[in-house]
Amino acid sequence: MTLERNVLLAFLAAAALLPALVTDQYLLHLGVMALFYAILATSLNLVVGYVGEFSLGHTAFLGAGAYTAALLSTQLGLPMWATIPLAGLISALFGFGIGAITLRLQGPYFVIVTLSFAEVLRIVANNWIAVTNGPMGLAGIDQFGITNKGTFFYIVLGLTAVALYLAFRFVHSNTGRAAVAVRENRYVAQSIGVDPFGTAMQAFVLGAFLAGLAGGFYAHYISFVGPEVFRFPFMVTMIIMVLLGGKGTLIGPIAGAVIVTLLEEYLREMQELRLTLFGLIVMAVVLFLPNGLMGFIAQRREQQGAKPAPRAATKERTV
Amino acid sequence: MDLDLFLQFLTNGVVMGVFYALSALGLTLIFGLMRVVNFAHGEFYMLGGVTGWFVTSYLGLDFFSGLALVAVAMAAFGWLVDRFLIERVRGQGEEPGILLTIGLSIFLVNATLLVVGPAPMKVAGAVAEGPLFFGPIAVTKLRLIAVGVGIALIAGAHLIIRKTRLGAAMRATFQDPMAASLAGIRTGNVYAATFALGCTLAALSGMLLGSIYSAQASVGGLISLKSFVVVILGGMGSFAGAIAGGLLLGIAEAFWGGYVATGMVDVVGFVLVILILLFRPQGLFSIRAERA
Repeated sequence: MTLERNVLLAFLAAAALLPALVTDQYLLHLGVMALFYAILATSLNLVVGYVGEFSLGHTAFLGAGAYTAALLSTQLGLPMWATIPLAGLISALFGFGIGAITLRLQGPYFVIVTLSFAEVLRIVANNWIAVTNGPMGLAGIDQFGITNKGTFFYIVLGLTAVALYLAFRFVHSNTGRAAVAVRENRYVAQSIGVDPFGTAMQAFVLGAFLAGLAGGFYAHYISFVGPEVFRFPFMVTMIIMVLLGGKGTLIGPIAGAVIVTLLEEYLREMQELRLTLFGLIVMAVVLFLPNGLMGFIAQRREQQGAKPAPRAATKERTV
Repeated sequence: MDLDLFLQFLTNGVVMGVFYALSALGLTLIFGLMRVVNFAHGEFYMLGGVTGWFVTSYLGLDFFSGLALVAVAMAAFGWLVDRFLIERVRGQGEEPGILLTIGLSIFLVNATLLVVGPAPMKVAGAVAEGPLFFGPIAVTKLRLIAVGVGIALIAGAHLIIRKTRLGAAMRATFQDPMAASLAGIRTGNVYAATFALGCTLAALSGMLLGSIYSAQASVGGLISLKSFVVVILGGMGSFAGAIAGGLLLGIAEAFWGGYVATGMVDVVGFVLVILILLFRPQGLFSIRAERA
């Protein structure tokens, strides 16, 4: 727990130094995207890693947040410090509504129905032209004259810090521990008085809130929101980040977000081959790193921790 | 006039419904029976269309011998996918399977894009285009043939599962894999055979519908989603359910598109799924009363 907290703090501190060391706008853009994905992966991880149900509809909350911020900004002219938190709140409301329906389901049904909700929202965004401007999307979202990527970097870093703080507090709260108990064994958890639906709901709504924050930031940063935010590729990217890093850990999704963002960028030079290789990488991760990088590291540490022990025992005997 | 329009919508809905049922058949086996949430289903369908286009226009085969060749090739492909990929994550819950098939689908789509490009490819049809009129209702000949072949495929798959030794082994394996392997059934082979059969059915429907619409590398995602909708509507693992689910979806979409709004047609299926899982989670026609 302390190690986890220290690693997270060190990550935030190192990230805070980045704009001071790097002035290249392109590299800063990569940094912004990596942190944006870190928030998304952290929020998805609350559902996938701690509730233990596999959501394929997390883009619903990203999109709800992005559209909320875009509409509040273009229609009402609200400033960014108001639109992003409101995006999170509206998204949390969506999370409450969708969670109330989907969290009653389990396994493959949960997977398909969460995906269905994201698809419904995408189709509505695509067709409700009066509000969402349909496939053309909402363009020209106010950026308040911020041209330096470094400023955006600090905004998204602040949001990442908030997201990590909330996720950390949740995971180490009673509810978070109860959620893990439900994930590990539903019936045992119920028998000691844990309400599976209630704990799952709290994690789900918090996840939706964080995804909404990320969506709100995305709307201002890209300055454009279209129905693509609900699309499956966003979802796939998030999932790969969580699983590559290691679900059910707080550090894993962040590591996953940084690695995948950089990898996507690096592979971009190979044009058509990029996604083909990406598919192969996904399959390789599932087959060879089933618990993600963090699982791999934990395993190595256990093995190394196991080796010195017998040696100490033999020493005792000789003395 | 209004009745004519109604009948035309109904006919369109039934034809689309049979097509939906057909494209979901493979998933009924792989998702419904094997419990692999197969996101590469649409890509198997797409591969069927693309190889169908290859054998009819490059190898110059006629439609039906092309269909047979595609069936053999895709059965082998499905067998290999199961043996080398799916087998390694069997019995670990649905999550690794979902990821594995998402990875496989990304790989298949983009590898196909690399090889044949994004343009739509027309599979040479079994008969010439042209409408047939039944009173006021118009249906094209190709669609009628496709409906016929589709019904034959559904019946064939049903017979394989109900009447053959392999089918009996399948049913035993999916009821209780441990007992089945104790009784001497090579469950590994049964899983691979089921996956191969599901893959083949998906590919054949891809080729069949590729002769009506066209085969395209990027079609898979939509097909996967619609097929999941159909399988859940009908109930997991039931062929009759898949047919009913397909017809329900086809007819509901045709009427929604005809009378309400064309833009949001795709919402219908998802709303139906959400409602079904809320009020009748075992699906409309599932035999096993299984709680979702």
